[in-house]
Amino acid sequence: MLFRPPKPVGMTLNLAPMVDVMMCLIVFFLLASRLVDAQHRPLNLPYARAAREVGRGELGPLVINVRPAADDALRAEYVVQGWDGRRIVEQALPADQIARYLQARADVARARGAPLRCVIRADEQVAYGHVEVVLRGCGLARIANVVFGARAGEEPKERT
Amino acid sequence: MRRSLPEPTSERIPNLAPMVDVVMVILVFFLLGASLELATEGVLQTELDPRSGPGEGAPVEIIPAVKIALAEADGGQACNIYVMGAPLPGNTFDDLARFLSQRRAAGADTQNPLIIAAQPAVRWRFVVKAMDVAVRSGFSNVQFAVSLGGGTPVKP
Repeated sequence: MLFRPPKPVGMTLNLAPMVDVMMCLIVFFLLASRLVDAQHRPLNLPYARAAREVGRGELGPLVINVRPAADDALRAEYVVQGWDGRRIVEQALPADQIARYLQARADVARARGAPLRCVIRADEQVAYGHVEVVLRGCGLARIANVVFGARAGEEPKERT
Repeated sequence: MRRSLPEPTSERIPNLAPMVDVVMVILVFFLLGASLELATEGVLQTELDPRSGPGEGAPVEIIPAVKIALAEADGGQACNIYVMGAPLPGNTFDDLARFLSQRRAAGADTQNPLIIAAQPAVRWRFVVKAMDVAVRSGFSNVQFAVSLGGGTPVKP
């Protein structure tokens, strides 16, 4: 009986499932980074060596960004997150709305029995008076737990 | 003459290796970009006095361990530092750290509130710097003096 050896077959790795998974990961990171950008707009936070490093998930839902206005550095914009029914959007609040906004958030948290922490992320160049508006609002809404965003570490020498 | 038909070739698969390379590079870029930004942000903790809040207009009396006041100087590019109502000799944050260390060594209670009061026009970075110095000097209970006026005090 004559056996004929099988013809050599070129073996190729099927990479299609791997590409599918990686594409999913990339789409996830693209979308996630867009959401994160909305939540954490780039601000020049002040440096603080005593700042405790935190992950983004630890900050909590109540974050108020205070940044200089684009047209006038002496004015400030208060940027908070809002939900427009489909996605997280940034919402600029006038200074006289801050206290009302904080009161509403505090009322919701109290109704749920959840603790509330206010994170104030203020640009290093804004005047203290603008941050004071948020602090006053926290006091009126009885939000005692307030933290300030800062860049953890030593301030570069040329800036000091 | 009889020609034999060529054998059917095997299924053709496009070469995905270069695409995988590119996708991998993009993936690594996003991974590193996300984690690098995470590493640098931190928080400084403060507790507002529980007696603040509704009933506004009633000033809260606090006997602080130390009171630091910051006044604007150089059009906002600098600030003058006062401690316990008097100008701080040297007027730098290193001098403030030395002063606070001396107070602590002299027996000041670090659990008592340390109050920071700043003029509205003082830049936020100086306020945070004062808070940073206080926390590093061991005063963990840092609080802020807030004026009772409403609205934006710097420029309406």
